Parts: sequence; C-alpha cells; structure tokens
Amino acid sequence: MVRGFGWAAAFPDEVWEHVFSFLAADADRNAVALVCRAWHRIERRSRRRVFVGNCYAVAPAAAVRRFPEVRAAAIKGKPHFADFNLVPTDWGGGAEAWVEAMAEGWPHLEELRLKRMVVSDDCLELIARSFKNFGVLSLVSCDGFSTAGLAAIAANCRNLRELDLHENEVEDNCLNWISHFPESFTSLVSLNIACLEGDVNTSVLECLISRCPNLRTLRLNHAMPLEKLVSLLQRAPQLMDLGTSKFSADHHPELFFKLESTFAGFKHLKSLSGIWEAGPAYLPAIYSVCESLTSLNLCYATIQSPELFKLVSRCKNLQRLWVMDLIEDNGLIAVAASCKLLQELRVFPSDPYGVAPPISLTEHGLVAISAGCLMLHSVLYFCRQMTNAALLTIANNRPNLTCFRLCIIEPHTPDYISQEPLDAGFSAIVESCKDLRRLSLSGLLTDRVFKSIGASANRLEMLSVAFAGDSDAGLHYILSGCKNLRKLEIRDCPFGDKALLDNASKLETMRSLWMSSCSVTLGACRQLALKMPRLNVEVIDERRGRPLESWPDDFPVEKLYIYRTVAGPRSDTPPCVWTV
Amino acid sequence: MELELGLALPGSDRTPELGVHGEKRASLCRKRGVDEMLAKATLPLFIQKDNDEDGDDDSRQSKHLQDLNFSGSRVLVGWPPVKMWRRKSNNCSRRRANCVKVNMEGVAIGRKVDLSLHDSYQAFFLTLGQMFPKKQHDGEESDAAYYKVTYEDEDGDWMLVGDVPWEAFIQSVRRLKILN
Repeated sequence: MVRGFGWAAAFPDEVWEHVFSFLAADADRNAVALVCRAWHRIERRSRRRVFVGNCYAVAPAAAVRRFPEVRAAAIKGKPHFADFNLVPTDWGGGAEAWVEAMAEGWPHLEELRLKRMVVSDDCLELIARSFKNFGVLSLVSCDGFSTAGLAAIAANCRNLRELDLHENEVEDNCLNWISHFPESFTSLVSLNIACLEGDVNTSVLECLISRCPNLRTLRLNHAMPLEKLVSLLQRAPQLMDLGTSKFSADHHPELFFKLESTFAGFKHLKSLSGIWEAGPAYLPAIYSVCESLTSLNLCYATIQSPELFKLVSRCKNLQRLWVMDLIEDNGLIAVAASCKLLQELRVFPSDPYGVAPPISLTEHGLVAISAGCLMLHSVLYFCRQMTNAALLTIANNRPNLTCFRLCIIEPHTPDYISQEPLDAGFSAIVESCKDLRRLSLSGLLTDRVFKSIGASANRLEMLSVAFAGDSDAGLHYILSGCKNLRKLEIRDCPFGDKALLDNASKLETMRSLWMSSCSVTLGACRQLALKMPRLNVEVIDERRGRPLESWPDDFPVEKLYIYRTVAGPRSDTPPCVWTV
Repeated sequence: MELELGLALPGSDRTPELGVHGEKRASLCRKRGVDEMLAKATLPLFIQKDNDEDGDDDSRQSKHLQDLNFSGSRVLVGWPPVKMWRRKSNNCSRRRANCVKVNMEGVAIGRKVDLSLHDSYQAFFLTLGQMFPKKQHDGEESDAAYYKVTYEDEDGDWMLVGDVPWEAFIQSVRRLKILN
C-alpha cells in the first residue's frame, strides 16, 4: 500500500501545526495544503485567518466547512468601480449568507472585516449574538445598516476591541447607540466613527473613553463641535491615532489655548486625520504634534496652500500624507524638502468637476516629490496636465514604486507640451518600476502603452484603465502578458470580443474583470461562458425590461463583470444582472 | 432618422471631435435658455422606455444615454474616479430630502421627486421614466417617444436639464417641467 510521504507521520499533528503557525501568507498555507493529505488535513484544521477577495468565489458553507477553526475573516463584495457609481446599487454583495454560515460554523470567530458589502441591521444583530469572543468589527465602504445595528453590537459584544467604520453609508435612526455600551465595558482599543452623520452624545462618549484605558485609536465624525472635542480629548492623552471632528469655530482665544495644550499633551500621537472644514485660526494648535506624526490625512480639510505648507513642513517624520490639491506645486515642493521619510502620497481633487478657478497643481509637484522623497513607493495623484518627460523623470527617480495611480481629470488629455499620447511616460513607469503591483492609467493612450504593460509589468496585480487604447490589441496585450494580474477594471475603451475570447483561460487565473462602455457583444459573453464553466459572466444592464435570452448575439453589452468561482452562478442576482 | 447631438451654441461653426464611440465631445458649457433649445430641436435628452422595443431601438437608446454621458466630460458617470462618499463629505452636506415638483405639459397632476436619492442624471431619468410612463397613442410601433426636460433654477430661469454637472444641478434646481 502506498503511504505517500511517510515522513509526515514522523511527527504528531501538533508539531506540524506549530510549524505551520509561522506561515502568515495565505499563498504559503495554500501551497502547504497541496503537499500531501496529512498536511492538507492538518493545515485546514489549523488555519486561523481567511481572506475571501470575492464573496461569490466560494460558497460560504464550503469555506466554513473547510477551515473549521477560523478566528479572523475578511470578505470583499462589490467590484471596485462601485465606489464610483458604476455598479447598480442592488447588484449584490449581501453579507447575510456569509454571516449566517459563520454564525453556524465559526462560533469562536473574533474578527470580521467586510468591504463593499451590503450589511443589514439583522446581520449586525446576528454577529452580536453569535460570537462570544468577538473582538474586531471592521466595515469599509459598506451600506445597508443603521445605528440601530451598531447599538446591538455595542450592547452585546462584551470583549469588543475594535469598531472600525470607514466610509460607510449608515442610516441614523438610533441617536444614542453609543450609550448601549454597558458600564462594565472597558476593552475598547480602537473606535472609528468618522463616517457617521449624526450627532454623538459627547458626555456618553466621554464616559466610554474614560473607562477604556487601552484606547489607542479614536476617529470622530464631523458633527462634534470643537469645544466638546477639546474636553473629550483631555480624557485620552494616550491616543496614538486621532481623527478630529469639525476643526472650525468662531475664534475664541481661550478655546485655541485649550486646544493647543490638549494637543501638547499627546505624547504618543502618530496619526492624525479628520480636521474637517479647518480654518487657519485653529490649525496652529496642532503644531506641537507635527514632529511625531507618521501619518497625516488632510483630505477633508479645505485649507489653502500657505497654511498647508506651514503645517506639513513641520512634519519631518511623515510616512503617509493624504492631502487636497489645494497644496499646489509649491506645497509639494516643500513636502519634498521636509518630509524625507515619505512613503505614500495621495493628492485628491478639491474641485473634480472644474467649476471653480483652476489650481496650480501640475506634474511639477509630483516630479519634485519623486526626486526628494527617496522612500516613496505609493502614489495617487489627481491633476489636470502631464507630460511624458515628467513621467520619465518620475520613473527614473523612483524605481521602487509599488503603486502608481495617476488620474488626469479630463479624459484623452495628451502630453500638453508635445501633444503626443502619454504612452512613452507610462511605459517608462512599468519598465523602470519592477515591483509595481498597482497601476491606474489616464490621459491620451494608444495600444502601445498596453504592449509595454503586457511585456514589462510582471508583478502587476491590479490595473485600472479608462478612455484608453485604439483597438482590441490593447486588451490582448494585457491579458496575454501581466503574469500576476489579479484584478482588471476597464471603462470606456474600444476593447471587444476577440481579445476576450482569445484569452479566455487567463480569466480563470484572475480574481475578476470589469468592463463597462467597451465594445463587447452578448454573443462573445455567451461563448465565453460556454467555454469557461468556472467563470461567472455577469451582464449588467439597467435599462432593459425583457430577459437576456431574447436578445441577439450582436447586442452590445454595457457592463460586464467576470469572476472565477467554484460556487457556480449566484442565486441572488437582481433584475438588472444576468449570469450568462 | 438621424439624430444630431450637439451642445454647442446653435449656429456655431464649431465641429466637435468624434470620440471613440462616435460620440461628440463639446466642451462648451453655458446657460442656455429654453427658447434657444426649442429653436434647434436636436436633442432628445430623455428617452422614454418603450414596451415593445426591438433591437434597433435598443441600440439607439443606449447610444443616446451614452451621448448624454459623453456630451461633455462633466456629465460622465463616475468620472473623475472620486468616491461618492468623499464627494458628499467635501460638500459637507448631509443627505437631506431634496424634493422638487415635476409637472408634465398637458398633465394636470404633478409629481414630486426626491433628488437626494439620485446621484446621476442616468438614475434621475430612470425615475422620471417610471413616474411618467408614455402611453402609445395608436397601435403602431413607433420610435420611442422623446421628452424634453427643463428646470427652473435659482435665478428663475428655465434651463435644459443636463447641461451642468449633476452636483451643480441639484443645488440650483427649484422645479421641473417635462415638455411634450
């Protein structure tokens, strides 16, 4: 009888479990599980963390069954373009199926992180009741719940350490939900309620904070007035991560003094955000913590460049900076000179629709940063003009870039000096930055840039394309190259059937493909679905009344979402979605 | 029937470039009175969903909604790629009901639409289509009926819906009128 690898039996299971416990990466654990049956069995019983990048890629019951001892789960739902309103609100991504399966099979679950999912209050109540040792709830870009659901979490999760609500749409129907944390509750380490719109009872919050000595992260919403913020913060001088509420008020010297001394009392503050509607009057109160900050998020602060410059140039240890384009080129040049440890920069548009007078933020700011900040590896930059020369310089300066997302606001914008497409510039980026994992393109681009990307971007995992390319060849270059591509999202490009069908098998090596306003026909989708049974090919069309079966093959598909799955077609498609 | 879509001034000799999908791009954007609009009736902005549509109608309809989206970069859905949530925060506006009256020419009873529940012209037109379904006058399979939608802005002027970015529109609109 063939026993397989006899050495697996040389040690008891517990020893292998201990060895495997040093493997953090899912890819490593997956590899281990393929070695032999014994390792497969031991690994699956000892896996504690599960990441499901697409909630429809596997049936919840199957995941729960395979890994019975999971303590931490992270699940993602809607495609990324849902953030920009391209995915119908009823598309799917409901959390119930997962929460029900987890409540049944993972009673010891401690951490749950959901992103872009529809989470109902019922779900929250089920979570609150089902997991005795529940410690971490993180909801990012979710919707479907209200503060009543949060009240259930507060009331029932005795050992809650983290409640992280990031950019969710939350209905405010239970104003006093914070008071549902019992008096005996003291375990809070991190509380992020920045996305809540309603007022939060300050005195209740103050009590809560006072009795939670381990509190390190507190991110408030903008509703709290500045005076109340000050008295609240005085209860938590140990904070490491603070998101303030509204940072403006009528100018009172006494208030300013109190605010300033409160901030001076923060000896451990590393991360600062919020600063909604900041006025120049109160901003200097922050100066005392600037030196110790490693992360600064000013993207809700409509401060103008001179004040921004004064603030940011004091932050010598900054590693992450998120800011509005109000900082302008001059501000970024100052950042490049002062913030030598900067690793991540995000510059957001203060006026994306161009109704206000233009801002002086151009390619020069980004070039300066790329030259001055040697550790810079992640960039998100919104601007209105770019040149190939600038991109080339950036590529040469920063071959260590891992994430480069450039959004030139007007589609099809060429190099404004040479009027050429920006192919050469982006090609330089992918050729120089060998570790690039994420790339977003913009501006005028032909098929040539896709040829470079396909050939050079070997580590690329996520690519976002809009208003680019001349023909199917563009898509073909990407799909036939880019060995490590996981997520591809495309809008408004002339990519069509041939490239998709020629590269059908590539799609099974990826998590998902989104295409909207391209040139794909229903016939190609049908062929693809037939050829690749382990892909769900979802055609999304919000305008039609009759079923997909009656449409002809040459029918143009408006939105297409293709993802690999072992769970088959999903059963919760809304009227506007058809699984072909 | 050839439909010419142009947001340029009537009589202007500016020929917008053709984009990738044959859509015309005109970057002119200024307030344009209703008289001007009616004089050059080229623009079906609100396409009525037909019950007995055939393939041709469908593709033409989709092209029109695309034209609406591509007629000027500002009316593109989801572009620039700024998160919905961020846009709301930047406007520092809480979601409060923004109900405006909608009247259709020749129809006695008006409706009300809550603009705060919509985040784009596309969603808004879908709702209008559901509120004011078109009945066929006779049994013939005619083309889908086109409505023109106008609105009264904060200055009291009647403007054509769709000229300005959605966010600017919902702040200035006072009431709506659908012309037959």
